[in-house]
Amino acid sequence: MTVFKTFFKILNKNKFIVILYTVILLVFGGFNMQTSERSLSFKPSKPNITIVNNDEDEGITKSFINYIKDNSDIPDIKLDNESLDDALFYEDTSYIVFIPKNYHTDFINGKNPFITIKKSNNYNAFYADMIVKRYLSIANSYVGSINNEDELIKLIDDTIDTDVKIEITSKIDSTNIDKASFYFNFESYSILACLIYVICLILSIFNNQNIHKRTIISSTNYKKNNRILLLSNLLYAFILWLFYLIASIVLLGNIIFTTYGVVFSINSLLFTICATSIAFFIGSIVTNKNAISGIVNVVALGSSFLCGAFVPTEYLPDSVISIAHILPTYYYVNTNDRIKDIEVFNMDNLKPIIINMIIIIIFIIVFIIFTNLMSKIKRKIG
Amino acid sequence: MKKVIEVKNLTKEYKKLKAVDDLSFDVYKGEILGLLGPNGSGKSTTINCLLSLLNFSNGSIKIFDCDMKPDAYDLKRKIGVVFQDVSVFNELNVIDNIDYFCGLYIKDKITRKKYVDEAIELVGLTDFKKFYPKQLSGGLLRRLNIACGIAHKPEIIFLDEPTVAVDPQSRNNILDGIKKLRDNGATILYTTHYMEEVEILCDRVIILDKGKILASGTTDELKKMASTSEKVSVEVNDLDNKKIDKIKTLKNVDEVTYKDGILLINYKKGKNNLVDIIEFLKQENINYNKIYSERPTLNDVFLELTGKELRD
Repeated sequence: MTVFKTFFKILNKNKFIVILYTVILLVFGGFNMQTSERSLSFKPSKPNITIVNNDEDEGITKSFINYIKDNSDIPDIKLDNESLDDALFYEDTSYIVFIPKNYHTDFINGKNPFITIKKSNNYNAFYADMIVKRYLSIANSYVGSINNEDELIKLIDDTIDTDVKIEITSKIDSTNIDKASFYFNFESYSILACLIYVICLILSIFNNQNIHKRTIISSTNYKKNNRILLLSNLLYAFILWLFYLIASIVLLGNIIFTTYGVVFSINSLLFTICATSIAFFIGSIVTNKNAISGIVNVVALGSSFLCGAFVPTEYLPDSVISIAHILPTYYYVNTNDRIKDIEVFNMDNLKPIIINMIIIIIFIIVFIIFTNLMSKIKRKIG
Repeated sequence: MKKVIEVKNLTKEYKKLKAVDDLSFDVYKGEILGLLGPNGSGKSTTINCLLSLLNFSNGSIKIFDCDMKPDAYDLKRKIGVVFQDVSVFNELNVIDNIDYFCGLYIKDKITRKKYVDEAIELVGLTDFKKFYPKQLSGGLLRRLNIACGIAHKPEIIFLDEPTVAVDPQSRNNILDGIKKLRDNGATILYTTHYMEEVEILCDRVIILDKGKILASGTTDELKKMASTSEKVSVEVNDLDNKKIDKIKTLKNVDEVTYKDGILLINYKKGKNNLVDIIEFLKQENINYNKIYSERPTLNDVFLELTGKELRD
């Protein structure tokens, strides 16, 4: 009880640092969630497409031009070559469609006339390309079977106008799941920082050579003493995890009580245990209290950045992702991202999540082995 | 008297260096035994071996007739240690620090509270109970260090240079506290290189150098080992060689030196040496300012035994 009480007295003396990292989680996590909410509501926009029509405004040419006009904005640009090049360069237009002479007649006659395209490299050009190719691929699929131009145009227009009916089968609020994913990803930083800082600090205090000597010569069993210290650290880690879980209920609402929430929670509990084992390992190496803050920044902040806890992994370069694979945070964040994308919980969907969790468990075992090795080496040197 | 510690042929080697070399001694119940020696003489190594903090190469250590081992928890309950370096938690205040270390021995809360209060009173930290170590002066910190080591009322106390870098007031307080512990029945093994402390405190002394016992006994017994029994210093001006030669012929005089206006006479033995020299100075009309006599110190004994000063 003495060791247990002293552990929490020392923790109480350092509560500021735990509060600081928790506030960071709640403030930045909350901010991130608001950002994600904004990014989920979007306004459709149309690309700028310029049409240079060398054909008559008739038949399929007319239909094609009308389709482009319906699905894009037509900028007011002079149609000479120099003006068109300038417009592309200054991004006044993203996409220029050159319709050749006799296009509609050649098309009906199956001569497969060639439409020339000039485009810039921006996303608008990509979008415009999709629009144009959609029409042309539909038209090409019908041209061989129908010889009447009016019929062909009608069929193309009908196909294009057909709405895709979407039935939402999932009752889960995807916005809230995204928010939860943001929160739990960000939580990895706070958990790592709080655990590494406090556990390393407390271990460095208890392992101080002089205090250590006093403990060894006392009538308390040294191994029992160490076990109490270990349990105190685990209890602290569990309380921290529980606190962040309660905070997630406050911030995210009922999502935590769904299957998604349960899997998120299991993942964060596993990560908390892993972070505790990392903290023990670092604590077994580091004895200098002044070095702890630096280590927290390198390990917690570094791994959170590398593994996509702050910035989604799709924005990270491949080289960074490759490095991230050696860190447990990557598998934790990856699991959160996968949970977010799950529509139905079945074995196929859960398999990669379970594999990630097993990898985290392997990390836990490896860190425990390393910690024991370090302790043995230190004891030998001592 | 009952033996509480029995050390036989204790040897501790670090590769080729013998830090403790075939050491044998006993400590008896209720005594304060001083281990005196310069830095590196093997005092702390001996204590660390006694406490099972270090493995030793050869020999045996028995405390209360039982072999001292790392897992001898019943035996450890009877032992208290005050290390040379202050070993306390900077994050805990005075009372919590003492309570923690006492709690490693005493599980019962009520008894522990009583013991902690008594320890605080013994070392004179009553007014500083809620102070943190960083708020304490060097002397008060040493007192806290002692309180943490003795709060559980051990029967044997190892004090490893507890007064290093302590102001005179705190030193007196600490020495008084140690005497009180002895008066309460504790047996104390006290290591130091301050011979004055040994003379004030210790019932018996062991002089160590290079891991070996050079001499042991009471302070008086050790002093008798010195060839000089009395040193007389006289502040005197203009003393010529003739008069110095005359002094050399006086009774019991062993050695005479005259340097920087100080005449130093070493006597082999005998009584009334001071009276004799005063008589002589009068007869020869030699004017002097101060004259004082000194008994040989343990440092003199150590100097004779090793050829070097105790604090070297």
